[in-house]
Amino acid sequence: MKTTPQKAKNRGYWLTLLPLYIFTLIFVAGPLVYMVVLSFLKRAEGWGVTNQFTLSNYTQILQPVYLATFADSLKLALISTALIVLVGYPFGYFMARLSPKGKQRMTLALMVPFWTNSLIRLYGWIIILRANGPLDQLVMALGLSDKPLKLLYTYPAVVVGMVYALLQFMIFSVYSSAEKMDWSLVEAARDLGASPARAFFTVTLKLTLPGLLSGVILTFIPSMGLFFIADILGGNKVVLVGSLIQDQLIKAHNTPFAAALSVVLMLMTTLMIALYRKISGVKDLEGLV
Amino acid sequence: MKKAISLVLAAALCAGVLAGCGQSQSSSAAGTSSGSQAAADGSKELNLFTWVGMFPDEVISDFEAETGIKVNYSNFDTDETMLQKLSQAKGGDYDLVIADDYIIETAIAQGLVAELDTSKLENWGNINPVYQGQFYDPENAYTVPYGAGVQTIVYNPAVVDVEIKGYADLWNAALEDNLAVIGNYRVINGMALKVMGESYNTEDTATIQAAGQKLLELAPNIRLIKDDNTQDDLISGEVGAAVMYTSQVTMAKLADPSLEVVFPEEGIGLGIMAQFIPSNAPHADAAYAFIDYILRPEVSKACFEYMGYYCTNQAADELIADEYKEFLTLPEGFDDDNTEMIQPISAEAEEAHVQVWTEFKNACGQ
Repeated sequence: MKTTPQKAKNRGYWLTLLPLYIFTLIFVAGPLVYMVVLSFLKRAEGWGVTNQFTLSNYTQILQPVYLATFADSLKLALISTALIVLVGYPFGYFMARLSPKGKQRMTLALMVPFWTNSLIRLYGWIIILRANGPLDQLVMALGLSDKPLKLLYTYPAVVVGMVYALLQFMIFSVYSSAEKMDWSLVEAARDLGASPARAFFTVTLKLTLPGLLSGVILTFIPSMGLFFIADILGGNKVVLVGSLIQDQLIKAHNTPFAAALSVVLMLMTTLMIALYRKISGVKDLEGLV
Repeated sequence: MKKAISLVLAAALCAGVLAGCGQSQSSSAAGTSSGSQAAADGSKELNLFTWVGMFPDEVISDFEAETGIKVNYSNFDTDETMLQKLSQAKGGDYDLVIADDYIIETAIAQGLVAELDTSKLENWGNINPVYQGQFYDPENAYTVPYGAGVQTIVYNPAVVDVEIKGYADLWNAALEDNLAVIGNYRVINGMALKVMGESYNTEDTATIQAAGQKLLELAPNIRLIKDDNTQDDLISGEVGAAVMYTSQVTMAKLADPSLEVVFPEEGIGLGIMAQFIPSNAPHADAAYAFIDYILRPEVSKACFEYMGYYCTNQAADELIADEYKEFLTLPEGFDDDNTEMIQPISAEAEEAHVQVWTEFKNACGQ
C-alpha cells in the first residue's frame, strides 16, 4: 500500500476495503492460525486434542512411510504436469492462432465439460477403463489382446485422470499469453534470418513463458492435492498427502498430525511458487495474482 | 470508475456476509420455535439422523400416515461427522440417531445419549438377544440394534483357482492383482492379526507391527481398496475375490448367485448398527413411537430386505422372503467364540494401525 497525498480520500478507501479484510481475517487467516496451532498440540486419547505443546507431530512426518508419501505425491505431480505441458502448450499456442470465431468455438468446447461436476466426469473414465468396458472391447475387437486388460485401478489410469482434470488450466494460461503476443516480433525474427525453431525458442517461448509458468503452477499444485482422482481411478492404492490427511482426520481422528501434514504441504507449495518466480524472474503470473 | 466497481463489490460482499448471518439466525430461530411448538402440540415431528438409504420410503410414509408425525430425515456420511454434529448440538436437535457400535460407545461416554425407558416400547421383546449386551451398551440401557453385519470374503470360483476358506488363503499367489478389500484399516489390518491368531483389539504395538509386516506380503494381490459398491467390481469381473460388508455381499449374491461366500475360518468380525435417542432430543416421544414401529415384525422385514443387513428382530426372521433368508439371518454356528467386534483402542495402538495401513497402501501402489 503506497501512501499518497490524498488523505481525505483514504477514509472511504479503507471503508470499502474493510469487508474484504474482515472476510480474509475470518476465513483465511483464522483457519490458518488455528491449523498451525493445532499442529503443535498433543492428541487426546481417542478424540480431540489436549493443550500440551509438542513437536512430535512434525517428527512423526520424518518416518520413512510418511516421507515416501510426500515423495509419491511429488512424483505424480511431476509426471502429470510434464504430460500436461506436452499436450497443453501446443494446444494453447495453436488455439491462439485460430480465427476469432474458431477461438470462441474452442473456448466453448473447452468450457462445456466444466459444467459437469468433476467427480461425475471421472466416473466417465471408470466406465471407459473398466473390465470389459468400451476400451477393452475395442482392443479385443482389434485383436490386440484376447482377454480384458487391467486398465482401471492402475498408476497410468491415475495419470490420465490428473491430466484430464487439469489440462484446461494449462491450455487457457498458455492461450492468454500467446494471444496477447505481438506476432510481428516473430515475423521480424524470421525476416532477420532466424529459423522457425530459433524464432520459436528465442521469441515465442520467452513471450509465452509467463503463461506456461502459471499453467505449471495451476496444474502442479492442485495435482498434489487432488487425491480423490487417485482414490477413484487408482483404487486407493496410490497414496497422496491429501488422502493421508483425510485418513488421519476422518479415520484415525488424529487432528494434530493431519494439521502438521497440511502445514508441511502448504510450505512445500509456497516454496514451489517462490522457486518458479525466482527461476523465471516472472513477477506477474498470468491468471494468478 | 475503479472506485465505483470496488464500492459495488464491497456492497455485494457485505450483502453476502449479512445474508449468510441472516440465514443462520433464521434457521436457528426456526429450530427453537419448531422445538417449542412441537412440545406444545405433542411431538408431531421426528428428526431422524442416520446414513442415507436406511429405510424404504413406504416405511417412513406409512409411519407418517399412521401417527401424524412428520419425519425429517437428515443424513451423515461417516459416524465421525454424526458425533461432531451431535456434540455441537449438545445432544439436542435430533430425536433419533442410527450409527455404528464403536461410535455409540463414545457418544454414551460423552453423555450425549438418553437412557431408554423400555416400558414405552411394546415390541422390545422382539429384539434378537444375540445383538444385545455388547461392549458399547452392556446393560442395553441406551440402544436398540438396527441391523448387523460381518466381514465376509466373496469370490468368483470361475476365475479364482484356489478354494478360499479363510483370510490366510487371500495371501495365495494365485490371487495376484485380483483382490478387492474394504478401506477400513481396523478390518484389513485385522485380517493379518486374525491369521496370526490375535485379537482385532490388541493394544500391543509390536503385534500390530508384526501384522503390518504380514500385510505387506498381501500387497501384490490387492487390486482395489474401496468402501462403497465393491460388489460392482466383483460382478463386472474387475476382481475375482473381495472382502466386503454384509449388505454388499447380499447385493453381490442377488446379482450373481454363482459367487461363493466365505465366513473366514480364523474368526468373524461382527458389527452392529443401533438406534439411540440423544440426551436432549426435542421430540423423544416421537422417537419412541418410531423405534416401536420399526420393531414390528412386518416393518422390520421390509427394512431388512431393503438394507441387506442381518435382521436384528427375531420376530421378523420368519417373515423374511426365502430369496433373502440366507443373507439376512446370522449363519449357523456364530457365537462369542468365533465372532469378535472391533472396539476403540488406545491412541498409541491406533497410531500403529494407521502407520501399518499407510505402509500397506504404499506397497499396494508399487
